[in-house]
Amino acid sequence: MGDQATWSHALVKISPYTFSAIGIAVAIGVSVLGAAWGIYITGSSLIGAAIKAPRITSKNLISVIFCEAVAIYGVIVAIILQTKLQSVPTSQIYAPESLRAGYAIFASGIIVGFANLVCGLCVGIIGSSCALSDAQNSSLFVKILVIEIFGSALGLFGVIVGIIMSAQASWPSKAV
Amino acid sequence: MSSTFSGDETAPFFGFLGAAAALVFSCMGAAYGTAKSGVGVASMGVMRPELVMKSIVPVVMAGVLGIYGLIIAVIISTGINPKAKSYYLFDGYAHLSSGLACGLAGLSAGMAIGIVGDAGVRYGLLPVLSLFLLIWLVAMVDTVIGLLQVKCSLLLCCKEIHLHSNLKVIKIAGPLQQRLLSQFTKHLLEFNIFFSYCFRMNCVEPEPQ
Repeated sequence: MGDQATWSHALVKISPYTFSAIGIAVAIGVSVLGAAWGIYITGSSLIGAAIKAPRITSKNLISVIFCEAVAIYGVIVAIILQTKLQSVPTSQIYAPESLRAGYAIFASGIIVGFANLVCGLCVGIIGSSCALSDAQNSSLFVKILVIEIFGSALGLFGVIVGIIMSAQASWPSKAV
Repeated sequence: MSSTFSGDETAPFFGFLGAAAALVFSCMGAAYGTAKSGVGVASMGVMRPELVMKSIVPVVMAGVLGIYGLIIAVIISTGINPKAKSYYLFDGYAHLSSGLACGLAGLSAGMAIGIVGDAGVRYGLLPVLSLFLLIWLVAMVDTVIGLLQVKCSLLLCCKEIHLHSNLKVIKIAGPLQQRLLSQFTKHLLEFNIFFSYCFRMNCVEPEPQ
């Protein structure tokens, strides 16, 4: 089964723990990258705009908090994924069921990482324009904040799908 | 152990990657649309604060793309169950193509909504009539591409292959649906091009400051 396909030859030899570890690392690493990217986009605009309009500083820290939440989503999912790792006996490492569990954790990590990356970027860009328009006209702050809330929902989508997919990561039992 | 698990061993890799592609690329499109339109709204809102709440339309349309990606990703990942139903490489590749179709269509739709929304809220809301055209245009882009996204990926998901008698039986979910879908989207694309031309005529260049 699967001898005719050449991708399978390579994939079957890679341990599922490799895939799981890469998935967990991507989940937290790329999420934090997205959060940091968003924070520096927002922060630099905020500090620059606050020179002429110092009143905006305390309100616009909310944008920074929205970006930070993206990193926290990554941490939570990475912790959940690493509790899904189980040790199986050596004869079972390349069994089809454990291969599937490894792939599930890998895909779950990729989903969470990259969804949080784009969410952090999006919230950062909108946060920077929120700070700049708030400096001009303080009635605009709440209206642009609504757009930012739409942006931060994208990170939540990634977390939801990541957790649903990690429920598929069932390793073979140690019985046999 | 292996008697309860039928199908190819590495097929779940492609299946899960399909679900990942569906969500990740749709989220990229939604993020681009939200960010680009949001910057346009903020820039326009400095001059005309009363029009800001009306210009949230492209942002909402871009957010919907993320939801499409979420739905397809969940459908795909719950369809990978080698214990209940045998999961061959065919099913893995079908799920991969379904997820890529959904995701990349969402990415392109999001980029389109971003660029159109940015230009539309900056220039198009000055004459009152253009608000209607803005909404129509964004809704057209979104429905056309969103429809293609969801329908194509569902069609690809639902392909089943029965390996009983010499690989003869392939069941595709609705060949009639495919024909109707292609006609419908052809008409929608024609309307879309027509209205975008009308909209372009109606755009007002901002006065140089």
